[in-house]
Amino acid sequence: MSTAAVRVRGPRGETLAAYAFLSPTFILLGVFVLVPMVGALIISLQRTNGFGAGTFAGLANYDTLLHDPLFWRSTLNTVLFTAIVTPLSMALGLGAAVLLNSVLPARGVFRSILIVPMAVSGIATALMATLIFDENSGILDKLFRFLGLPDVAWQSGGAAAFVSVVLVTLWWRVGFNMLIYLAGLQGIGEDVHEAARLDGATGWQRFRYMTIPLVGPSTFFLLIMNVIYSFQVFDIIFVLTGGGPRNATSVLVTYAYDTGFVTRDQGYAAAIGMVLLLIMLSFTALQWRTNKSRDLAG
Amino acid sequence: MSPTRRTFLTLAGVAAAPAGLAGCGFTKKTPAPQDTEAQTLTFTTWGTDNELAGLRKVIERFESANEGTSVELNAVPYEQMFTNIDAQLQSNTAPDIFRVPYYTFGSYAGQGQLLDLKPLLSEGFADRFTPQAWAAVQNKDSPFGVPHHTDTSAILYNKDMFDAAGITSVPTTLEEAWTWDELEQVALQLRKSLPDSKYPMAYNWQGNGVTRWLSWLFQADGRFLEEDLVTPAIDSEAGRAAVEFTSSFFRRNLVPQNDSVKSTTYASDIWYSETVAMTWAGAFLIPDAAQTLKFNWGATFAPRKVRGGSDFGGNALVATAGTKVPELAASFLEFVTEEESMRGFCEAASLLPTRNDLVESGITFTERPELSEVFIGQASIVQASDSGQVASPNMAAIITVLKDQLEQAFVGGQSVEDTIKGLSEGIAKATSA
Repeated sequence: MSTAAVRVRGPRGETLAAYAFLSPTFILLGVFVLVPMVGALIISLQRTNGFGAGTFAGLANYDTLLHDPLFWRSTLNTVLFTAIVTPLSMALGLGAAVLLNSVLPARGVFRSILIVPMAVSGIATALMATLIFDENSGILDKLFRFLGLPDVAWQSGGAAAFVSVVLVTLWWRVGFNMLIYLAGLQGIGEDVHEAARLDGATGWQRFRYMTIPLVGPSTFFLLIMNVIYSFQVFDIIFVLTGGGPRNATSVLVTYAYDTGFVTRDQGYAAAIGMVLLLIMLSFTALQWRTNKSRDLAG
Repeated sequence: MSPTRRTFLTLAGVAAAPAGLAGCGFTKKTPAPQDTEAQTLTFTTWGTDNELAGLRKVIERFESANEGTSVELNAVPYEQMFTNIDAQLQSNTAPDIFRVPYYTFGSYAGQGQLLDLKPLLSEGFADRFTPQAWAAVQNKDSPFGVPHHTDTSAILYNKDMFDAAGITSVPTTLEEAWTWDELEQVALQLRKSLPDSKYPMAYNWQGNGVTRWLSWLFQADGRFLEEDLVTPAIDSEAGRAAVEFTSSFFRRNLVPQNDSVKSTTYASDIWYSETVAMTWAGAFLIPDAAQTLKFNWGATFAPRKVRGGSDFGGNALVATAGTKVPELAASFLEFVTEEESMRGFCEAASLLPTRNDLVESGITFTERPELSEVFIGQASIVQASDSGQVASPNMAAIITVLKDQLEQAFVGGQSVEDTIKGLSEGIAKATSA
């Protein structure tokens, strides 16, 4: 075999191998993501309860969305939930990672304790939370009464119910954030911090101007993931509050579920899903553009 | 790089995974069109241990009586029952038979998903059922299911809390059932004797149980749909009375605030935790309550106003329109509702019969048998015109309207007039869709 022949066949062989490696992912993405997505788009243009052929309705479902107060309430709740949970879970995760990256007794135990919630399903987490936040017989209000504090209406008060959902989500998600940040922190050489110390940087200055920029790629990844998880929040809210009281915790996915499977207006539910997809795609594209250079530098 | 044998096998495994996964969980194997398999019925249901044990016994007897036939029982959690049934119906992989609550029955029957049993059931089959039970499985003058059992809500009360409030007797016959005024007096008496953290009562209208609110409407002699099952009928004095009376429970602290229709806490759990003195509950709770509760408790009849009224709860059994064995399916549905089958199932599971003969002769619950009469009596006052409305094909959308409007009335401060207007408009929209 001549050298020239190897040069010609080599890259082609590599290309074929690359496609072979990629094909399982393409197949899975196509079957389980792209096909259902196109299906949902088609259903969103129909008036259908899911049985039999729907009737083509054009953009009627999307027009209804514009005038549906519950859709806007759910959108606002989703954005608010994302805006609160994303920075808080990242900040707490980074704080825990910094703490557990330092010389701390039994840090392995603490790391495990923080990571354990990741292994618990959202449904199980929410079921446990119902025992804590039940406003009649829950542990938390019993504790408040014991301390002489007033009861909190975790289930019948809109703001308190929203807070309960945020708290449970943080408990569930901080461990994941900590884990990613911990991996990022362990990639930073000790010499960098030592040099800063020699230059007279304080602990806060080293954290603010060295640690935070150096974990930039982790932050970028976590921001995307947290926003996506937050926009897709369902199980915790579905079990813990059911979207109530008075829709105070209704989010886009719970609203889509209720519309699709309780009211059986599946065309409208699919339209809600498509709006959710558009919001997440827009956010991801925006993040991708604004953070691309940092990601490459990191 | 050329793919190695190991890579090839890995890729092949990944590519084959979807097909393998499809065989797991809830998916139903499509029966091959062979005569030998054509005598197999697939039956999907949810159920308590007692209900499933009762069904298995009936299936055994059916298989013995019909040599060569078999029934594959697929028991699933209630939470995933109908999202999966819907997906199976959409993909033509639904079971031959499934269990469905009466308030959901209309949604399937009205959309052509169920088998019309009229030409398949034996002569005089309808006569075995009470009129209200038979009305609950009708769609366009044809039966699309059989009323397997019913259940209805009576009042379960905590005797210790009643005694502490000085309430020493409760109604023991339907005729003596508390009027709304008497119920109010009992609730106020309890309110005075209980600390702020406890309440007189909780009502079981959470989730799809919101249809149980309709009992108040029926007690006031009202309707939510006219006889055409399309025109809203809730804009009436009865409708206003029902909304006003039930809303007042929340304003006057007669129920906990988290007892509203969209709450994720069930009324029975509030009662179990001794937060309330009484709750409305179906007989199906009796076995669990008898085995777990540490306090003394009893049962009495639900209240009345112009007349008695109660929810026609429970479930029908239906065959899917796409079944390949319609005759066998109909034969099984007849067998399940025979006297011996229904008696055994209802007595073991603390559920109420739908057969005339069993209602007349009575049944005896295995647990707390003395309470059987209360629940059978309570179920007897359901009128066919009440259960017929709940069988509306548009009930799914009406349930959403009821939930939204009653939540606003109960804990959102919405006025009676606005609630009636919202209910009326919502029901009109739901039935015209």
